[in-house]
Amino acid sequence: MIGFLRSYGTLAGMVGIILVFWIALPDTFMTARNWLNISQQLSMLIVVAATMTVVMVTGDFDLSVGAMASLAGVVAATLFQLGFGIPAAIGAALLTGFLGGVVNGVLVSLLGILPFVATLATLTMFSGAAFIVSGGKTISGKAIPEAFAAFARRGLEIGTIADRPAVVPWLTLLALGTVGLVWIVLRKLPYGRRLHAIGSNAEAARLAGVNVAGLRLSVFLFTGVGAAVAGVMYAARVASANPTQGDGLMLTAIAAVFLGMTVTRNGQPSVLATLAGVTILGVMDNGLTQLRVDSYVRDVLVGAIILAAVSISALGRRAAGTRQDRT
Amino acid sequence: MALTFTRQAAGGLLATLAFVAVTGPALAEGEKIAVITPYLAQPGTQFYVEAFQARAAELGWEVNVIDTAGDVAAVISRMEDVTNQGVDAIVLNVDPQQVGAGLDVAAAANIPVFGMDAGADPRIKANITSNGYAMAAETAVYVANRIGGEGNVVMFTFDAFPPVQVRGVIADAVFANYPDITVLDRVTPDVSDGGIADSRAKMEAILAANPEPGSVKAVWAAWDQPALGALQAIEAAGRQGEGIVITGIDANPEAREAIAASGNFEASVAQDFAGIGRTTADTVARVLGGEDLRASVIYVPTRLITAANVAD
Repeated sequence: MIGFLRSYGTLAGMVGIILVFWIALPDTFMTARNWLNISQQLSMLIVVAATMTVVMVTGDFDLSVGAMASLAGVVAATLFQLGFGIPAAIGAALLTGFLGGVVNGVLVSLLGILPFVATLATLTMFSGAAFIVSGGKTISGKAIPEAFAAFARRGLEIGTIADRPAVVPWLTLLALGTVGLVWIVLRKLPYGRRLHAIGSNAEAARLAGVNVAGLRLSVFLFTGVGAAVAGVMYAARVASANPTQGDGLMLTAIAAVFLGMTVTRNGQPSVLATLAGVTILGVMDNGLTQLRVDSYVRDVLVGAIILAAVSISALGRRAAGTRQDRT
Repeated sequence: MALTFTRQAAGGLLATLAFVAVTGPALAEGEKIAVITPYLAQPGTQFYVEAFQARAAELGWEVNVIDTAGDVAAVISRMEDVTNQGVDAIVLNVDPQQVGAGLDVAAAANIPVFGMDAGADPRIKANITSNGYAMAAETAVYVANRIGGEGNVVMFTFDAFPPVQVRGVIADAVFANYPDITVLDRVTPDVSDGGIADSRAKMEAILAANPEPGSVKAVWAAWDQPALGALQAIEAAGRQGEGIVITGIDANPEAREAIAASGNFEASVAQDFAGIGRTTADTVARVLGGEDLRASVIYVPTRLITAANVAD
């Protein structure tokens, strides 16, 4: 029973939440259209959280992702304003993310600064840079190319539901592609296994000949580029960019990874578990909005869900631990 | 023990959700209206929303107020959610240009969208707001009349922000219409610190460059913060006795305090936030009643605030 709760407590809770919404909203919740909606709404968070999973596998984390998403969006929009095309603008935004990742990686891995301190400092710097690039203003209107905004509104047609075309949004496909890529990196490549080794015991990994410094540096490239991708997606979705718009992604992404970690057997970060964590957070937002629950009550409930999941996991593990001690 | 606790915690949470789920739809009667804003924490927004809710209660509507805490993409997400839920109308308090994706979704489902001080867009039935041109005209002619149509005026404007830019245009026209009024300087303050500190610094420089008493007759500011900064500069320079007239716009609490003190800061313009909320509800009711609106922007009158009525 304890083992079941530890392994499946969070999953059971997630299923329970979905069932409650399904019963309360029989006509509108468990529909393909609603789930396509949810997937699109969560796409930016999924990209950030999936890449955050890579960093958290090595036991580090990156607080600068939200600020980097804002900065990347503003960089792309500013290039649009200057008359550059879509490839150049997106390329510059992704390059910004890559360079930001290099800076974070060097600070944490080569200089040995704690990730909390290093990425808190770069968070502030990226955020300041976003204000400098944009002049503090929201860039919107004609400066943003039609095709760029259209990307976030269109998708792959897969048929019709109730006489309206059913479309899998491009943003959703991009997010799922990112999850797939991270899954391959973490599960199928020797690179991913080395990251897990560092996460379990960095010293042992180093003695076993793993290039700990280089690998710890490299993981921040994932969060840097991932945040930039999410920032560009966000800018396309709102057809505009302002210097703070991605900031909220950071805490939610970390929450999603933690929530996901309560699902996995060994409490390790895993990208599919992160996807489950993101999904449950998004389902709460969608379902509670449809139930017309006050936004502030919604925030309290979401926090409570995270705490409950983590408590169940922690208590379950402790109970299991005591039992093992006795035997 | 730990196990019982976790079971209870999980159970309690699900029970809360279930309670919310059961009671939520049970309350539903009249029209369902969603009000979505990223800015509920701002004082002005709270006034509109409360007045909207009060009028909606009289009309027997079910209102769902959704605050996305500054997140504009979440406004689109919530628009998708409430469209899916099948609300009768959506009221927005955000720049419609940024939520085009949500407007498309609502339009596809034939759900009318209204702006509460939001901005214009073809997909919005009507935007209910204050007339920025009229507000600027109120204070600009107040300044012109107070200085008898002659003298040097300093303007504080901010053309990068469209709602403030329109105010500057009108003040330019009013002052240009008086042959003896000279615009000494048209300052765009740095607003990254809120606008007061830099406006003060700019005004101090202007006062230093024009030391003669009477060489600056008035300061017209497109919003209250530069007016407050100019007031600080004039007081710091010890020139408050020269009768320099200062006006702002928005009538924020600090501006009202300064106006009540009967010093140089003489006038500002108050938007009727509650009126905007009420009129938005009435406009939604007109459209739901089948009326085809002719005007896509509906203005709610504003009020000039001076020492005479600041206490009201």
